[in-house]
Amino acid sequence: MRKTFLVLTLLLLAGLTLLTPVQAQGCSADAPCEIDALIGFTDHRLDWAVERAVEFGEMFPQYVVNIESFSDYEPLLDSYILSQEQGNPPEIMQLFEVGTQFAIDSGYFKPASDIIAGRDEVLGQPVDFDDIIPVVSSYYTIGGDWSSVAWNTSTPILYANLNILGEAGIMDLPMTWQAVEAACEQLQPMVDAGSIAGCIVWPNHGWFYEQWLAQQNTELVNNGNGREGRPTQVLLSSEASLNIVQWHKDMYEKGYYAYSGKQRDWSGAVQAFNSQQLPFIMTSSASAGGIMRNAAENGVEVGTSNMVYDEEVGWTGNILGGATMWITDGLEPEIEEGAMAFLLFFSNTENSASWHQTSGYVPVRNSSVALLEEQGWYEENPNFLTASIQLGESQVTIATQGAIFGTFVETRNIITQAIEDAMLTGGDVAEIMAAAEEEANVLLEEYNLLYVDE
Amino acid sequence: MYLVSPPILLLLVALVGGSWSAWRARAQGAAPAVRQRAQLLALLGAVSAAAGALVLLAPLNFCPFELDGDGNANRLNVMLGVFILLGGAFLAHRVVSSLVGRWLRGEALPGATETRTGLFSGPGSTLLALLCLAPTLTILTLFLYYPMFDTFQLSTQLARLGAPRTRFVCMRNFNQLLGDPDYGRTVLISFFLAAFIVMFSLAFSLLIAQMAYRPITGGRFYRALLVWPYALSPVIAGIIFELLFHNTAGVLNHVLDSTFGFKVPWLLDPTIAPWTVVVASTWNILGFCILFYIAGLQNVPNDLLEAAAIDGASAIQRFFRITFPLLSPITFFLVVTTTTYAFFDTYGLIDFLTAGGPVESTTTMMYEVFEVGVVARNLGSAAARSLLLFGIVIGVTILQFRFSRGRVMYGS
Repeated sequence: MRKTFLVLTLLLLAGLTLLTPVQAQGCSADAPCEIDALIGFTDHRLDWAVERAVEFGEMFPQYVVNIESFSDYEPLLDSYILSQEQGNPPEIMQLFEVGTQFAIDSGYFKPASDIIAGRDEVLGQPVDFDDIIPVVSSYYTIGGDWSSVAWNTSTPILYANLNILGEAGIMDLPMTWQAVEAACEQLQPMVDAGSIAGCIVWPNHGWFYEQWLAQQNTELVNNGNGREGRPTQVLLSSEASLNIVQWHKDMYEKGYYAYSGKQRDWSGAVQAFNSQQLPFIMTSSASAGGIMRNAAENGVEVGTSNMVYDEEVGWTGNILGGATMWITDGLEPEIEEGAMAFLLFFSNTENSASWHQTSGYVPVRNSSVALLEEQGWYEENPNFLTASIQLGESQVTIATQGAIFGTFVETRNIITQAIEDAMLTGGDVAEIMAAAEEEANVLLEEYNLLYVDE
Repeated sequence: MYLVSPPILLLLVALVGGSWSAWRARAQGAAPAVRQRAQLLALLGAVSAAAGALVLLAPLNFCPFELDGDGNANRLNVMLGVFILLGGAFLAHRVVSSLVGRWLRGEALPGATETRTGLFSGPGSTLLALLCLAPTLTILTLFLYYPMFDTFQLSTQLARLGAPRTRFVCMRNFNQLLGDPDYGRTVLISFFLAAFIVMFSLAFSLLIAQMAYRPITGGRFYRALLVWPYALSPVIAGIIFELLFHNTAGVLNHVLDSTFGFKVPWLLDPTIAPWTVVVASTWNILGFCILFYIAGLQNVPNDLLEAAAIDGASAIQRFFRITFPLLSPITFFLVVTTTTYAFFDTYGLIDFLTAGGPVESTTTMMYEVFEVGVVARNLGSAAARSLLLFGIVIGVTILQFRFSRGRVMYGS
């Protein structure tokens, strides 16, 4: 039935597009091959990507790279899946880290390692994946092979409004949960007086929970966080997990955590910090560009430090966040070469460095870090170094490598909801997390029913 | 293994359908022609009821009545199965017995009396008619009937967007919903929001229209401004209200705090957030209602109002005795459309204003369909949810039509 529907729709579309000329075979400057790339940004990050696409087109006139933008990673992925189902997928897509298992299961993509096939360069663009920083390669390589090309990588860090902290007499930036609580206690008179709205904010989003879990060296799913075998259980009732949710609850109940009531409220959190309502925000290092620009405009001094951790448990490391670029399987060889060459150009040493300066995402190449140091960038912008230090100092364990499983996106939302329930309903943390775990396990079981061959 | 084997089930249904038809045919007041053919009617009633049940249950392979591995029947499944069984039987029985009844009584079949000879007469007329209807039918089939059929099919499956296969799970998607207290809460929240959005938007729009339709200086300008909020999509309304109501960075709390020294947790408190959504949605739909009420008010005959005024009726009496009853068709139209708006179109507003929170206090059925189907890609469960929502809204609309009978007057 679905086939009939598709055929009917296609016939209809074919009728409409009958008059458009048929594309000639082969790519040349006169008739360049089009490479469509979907990315999940709409702001200055989109502009940066479009500029690189234009540059690539000037270097390789036989190709035209069209950047198509989406408001977020999720709608981008939906759009890609639908275009696959309709048999007309774009050549390149940006996929967030939690979609990795899905991407592998879907069979939509051709692993980068297979395309490169051991070559040192593709159309003159050097490969050199050994240059990629360890935390990125440990996340995105599976069995030693690169399935995609690394691009934007971030990690949550703490930003502080030093003007407000100065008024309260706080000299050192907190590094631990306990230090944050002490600082918040010290800031409470200012909150009571109404000069600030609260102490600290971070978006209520499962990503932060995952980070805190990794800091405590605890896995999110079984089977080695999904890296030793397909996971069958989501582990939300671990001691470390309950610890994180309990801390959210305590911070909220003491009035220190200024929750907006809206889940995944990235922009609201940054807005509250930028408008100087709150002295602390924990958010992605990718916000550094925007936050520092705003601070400069408003004469605010902003300091950054690592994402705070529980002193009583200690810090093992943080997981990266962000996305990589995937190439669709089944492309014409010439177009596939062009797509690969574009991605290698897109993430080369100079472009990774410039991408970092524009956005605050971590430079994914050691050579880019060296280049930036040489230019004196970090001396002038020390806040842009914090994320690299945090990821660089992270120990690589199964927990800090990050989980890989098919229902990661949905599980994230379940965790986010559970944390909100714990804060706002005052319910028992262990009970709430047990219920969330059950819900997440049902989803995982259903996913495995549809994807795992028996 | 079945709890009750399918042939026995169908026999039972046939028995009930047949006896119902026979009883109706013998009942007092039945036409003589009908009374004489009671046996035929009973037979047709039995067959149609069984056929109706079979058409719905055969594609499901009678799975609601299947026993699981341990030989136990799932109570909810059986209840759903009985519901489908009786529903199919009832619909088929009703259509067949009404048609046969008309035929026996010598009445024309529905629609037959309205046939007029005209353009589509003569040889080939059917073909021409079908040809003219073809574009509409094609579009309806592609974009309405096929998706609807697909939704029914999906609702019995475990299906994910992009997954290589689907699995037939019978009534599990419905079962999970009906056994879930959270879903019950979602239904209640949807009704709560819809009730207040409809009530507030109608009351305020009538009040404003009553003031704005008068011939005042700059009236046209005011009226254009009043309709303006409706020109904004719910998403934009959501963003505007988020900027106003945000707890830490919002304009409203800033003003409240600096003038009165207190803040209201508009979007943080689960008991206040639904009201915030009601206010924002009402504001969004208000312009639409005002537009219709102003048009309606301009059609209220002035001589009636003047005559009443001369007879000594007060302004309030004139409003409730003359204006309001004359506006009843518009009120009814607006009740139906704003109900649809409240159930279906508030999704964008909620997504940007509260994202369904806090603590799911503003998660409506429609919002959940989107969350489950699009965000979580769980197509089977989303299909089941959308069917339930569809059923509920149809039910509400039917109730509205029933209730409005005799209360709404259309012209003379």
